Amino acid sequence: MWNERPVRRVNTGWLVLVAVCCLLGGIAAARAATRAWLALTLTGVAAGLAAAARVLIGAGAWEWTSAMRVGGETLHLRLDSISAMFLALLCVIAGAGAVYSSAYWTDAMHPRSAGAGRRWWNVLVLSIVVVLLASNGVHFLLGWEAFTISAYFLITLDRDNPDVRRAGWLYLAVSHVAVLLLFTFFALLAVRTGTWDLGPMQERAELAPLFWLMLVGFGIKAGVFPLHVWLPSAHANAPSHVSAMLSGVALKIGVYGLVRFAGWLPTPPEAGWVVATLGVTSAVLGVAFALGQHDIKRLLAYHSVENVGIILIGLGFGMVATAQGYPAWGRLALIGGLLHVWNHGLFKGLLFLGAGSVLHATGTREMSRLGGLWRRMPWTTALFALGAVAICGLPPLNGFVSEWLVFLGLFGAVLSRGSSVWMAIPAAILLALTGALALACFVKVCGVVFLGAPRSETAARAHESGLAMRLPMLGLAGGCVAIGVAPLLVWPALSRAVGTWHGGWMDAAEPAPLMMLGAVQTGVLVIGGAVAWMLWRRVRAVGCVTAPTWDCGYALPTARMQYTAGSFAGIVTEWFAFILRPVLHMERPEGLAPQSASHWQHTPETVLERAVEPLGALVLQGAVAARRLQHGRVQAYLVYLLIGVALLAAVVLSGVSP
Amino acid sequence: MRDLNLLIGLAMGLNLVALGSSRLPSIIRATALQGVLLGIMPLLLEHDFGWQVVAVAVATAIGKGVVIPGLLQRAMRAAHIEREVEPFIGFVPSLLLGAFGTIAALAVARSLPLLPEHAKSLLVPGALASMLTGFVLLIGRVKAISQVCGYLIFENGIYLFGLLLIGSTPLLVEAGVLLDLTVGIFVIGIIVDRIQRAFDSLDTRKLTVLRE
Repeated sequence: MWNERPVRRVNTGWLVLVAVCCLLGGIAAARAATRAWLALTLTGVAAGLAAAARVLIGAGAWEWTSAMRVGGETLHLRLDSISAMFLALLCVIAGAGAVYSSAYWTDAMHPRSAGAGRRWWNVLVLSIVVVLLASNGVHFLLGWEAFTISAYFLITLDRDNPDVRRAGWLYLAVSHVAVLLLFTFFALLAVRTGTWDLGPMQERAELAPLFWLMLVGFGIKAGVFPLHVWLPSAHANAPSHVSAMLSGVALKIGVYGLVRFAGWLPTPPEAGWVVATLGVTSAVLGVAFALGQHDIKRLLAYHSVENVGIILIGLGFGMVATAQGYPAWGRLALIGGLLHVWNHGLFKGLLFLGAGSVLHATGTREMSRLGGLWRRMPWTTALFALGAVAICGLPPLNGFVSEWLVFLGLFGAVLSRGSSVWMAIPAAILLALTGALALACFVKVCGVVFLGAPRSETAARAHESGLAMRLPMLGLAGGCVAIGVAPLLVWPALSRAVGTWHGGWMDAAEPAPLMMLGAVQTGVLVIGGAVAWMLWRRVRAVGCVTAPTWDCGYALPTARMQYTAGSFAGIVTEWFAFILRPVLHMERPEGLAPQSASHWQHTPETVLERAVEPLGALVLQGAVAARRLQHGRVQAYLVYLLIGVALLAAVVLSGVSP
Repeated sequence: MRDLNLLIGLAMGLNLVALGSSRLPSIIRATALQGVLLGIMPLLLEHDFGWQVVAVAVATAIGKGVVIPGLLQRAMRAAHIEREVEPFIGFVPSLLLGAFGTIAALAVARSLPLLPEHAKSLLVPGALASMLTGFVLLIGRVKAISQVCGYLIFENGIYLFGLLLIGSTPLLVEAGVLLDLTVGIFVIGIIVDRIQRAFDSLDTRKLTVLRE
């Protein structure tokens, strides 16, 4: 057993210290010394990863209290297996993104923003480290605010572009709604418990209603469906390594908050149902919106909504199981959700880096201008396809493992014949539907972007990206394969995290099918690899004949005659037209010799445009109306005063007289 | 008590005079007369008054009745303004409001939980009526000088309330309030002067250009 190894607890602390110092040094070196920045950042994240790994393999939680006061509160840091899980993911993505950015966002290409980008990158990583380690409400909020702000500066690195500025502004505004809610949450918590210090307080049942505040606050950050309004434009307009960080890690910090406080605080009885319902909604509608997108990064952003939904299904059923006392399937669902946090970080990071590679090579995110890239960019194509297989939850990669664990949890809930059956059956069906739609969506992406013929000049002149951009993608892809073929390796860590979340769920062996799953996945990988290799050899031996595609008697085929992203997904987006509300502009060819015809379809940000913006306009109208009260006429101000005093007098008098 | 009520009744009548007149000198005179009446009141309330009460009464009467009105008249002459030309609330509506306010003050004062020795006196209704009158003048008038008179009548109402507590509050506190007010009038006098120079008018409606 891991636990029996003698370990000195101080080691984790030293590793954390090294990580923090290196990242701070990186901030200093960011502007001028790029290589030093890269070296320091990589050392820092390696140390952080080592610290997280030590906790995860069973060296015990690390806790450190200092007499030093920051913001009037004593410093209290804690790294247990839940925060270590998220810290590990942060370090992996931060390292990959740092290497990637050294080739993707260079001083030569972006002289104004490259140095700032490196510096804010480290600030972001550091502030997330603070959020993960802080065990005090004040420090949590400080870290959270720094995290929000630094992410804003990273999103708007390319702020000459008005779209980027708009996306950044939306992100900042929505994030601060979340910050406000979290301020309220922590303040109320501090008032009711008498201390800002955080920790398990399950026995204080009166704290349960605070869960809703926290759910909305962290839900905005996590991008849960109706609260995701900031997410698509921010992810699409940020530089790709930042998108990978936002999607891979930043959203997960929202999930971290939910997991953390759902474990520490008592929850209302219906909380699990609400979280699971939100999860199912996010999963299905996230993928539906993704299908309607034509911008490759916006599409990936909506898949983040979907995957956060899957994570929340796991968390929600874990909470339901806690409330109803079914440890067996509750653990599985929660472990599936937590593993999906890792998995989504890995494959979504990979996909965003891949999309960045495409953007870097062609200069466009518009899928209808791409096509046929696999000839020019074989590495990017292969790695993106691998990420696509993983995100669709297909064997033999990691997405399958976590979704399968969530499914096992749902099936367990069905078999337990409790009241959870009525939620578990639809959830399982909709989760399967989500997987199918995600597959359709990624067939669309891969088919339109990488296969076929180039639709534009820039796509035809694309070039493969350099080693510094391929290496991080290879690393993330390696992670996807490793978790896919050897899920048993990560089981102890997940089991510990779940044990930390709920004390009673600590000691349980891995489910028997997990071993078999690993073997089967390995088999699928080996057989698939062998078949692919044999086919490749055959093709190489026979040779290829180049001929025009779809040459069915038509003499002048052009690349524009290919399926577009919109036409491929048309059927499915029509199913979801009730929520997607696609905007269609069509000019049919008419007459014997039609001169012009056009067809243009666009999926708007329905929630933003139909709900948030009207609400904002209403508030603005109210504010403008209220502003008429301030006109500068002293006499009228005195009337206000008189009315106020009269009302007060009326209140007092009516209160005094019986 | 009857003498006191008589004086308060006179003061309430002067309120209506101030509300009903359009000429600034008569408003100022009404205010000055009210001030003198108020100055006499402590002498009627305190039965065994010493030199302090006399001194304060004299100071109040001189301050409210002579010094401040004198300052206002000087400001008025300097600004060449005699009349309130187009008030926000006309003179007849002002009078009606004032009369209504006086009646309402009498009605409200009856329902207030007062000490038995104050129940018969007109102090509370007089105070409320004066404060309302002050408010109506402040709200309804445009010229800065009539607004200052509004403030003064408003302060007279507060002074009347203060007389309720004459047993427990030393008159010196009241004298301090009066001093504050005198300083306030000085400041307003300076502001009136500035308004006059900046806008070539004493119309406070023109101050709206300063709102942002």
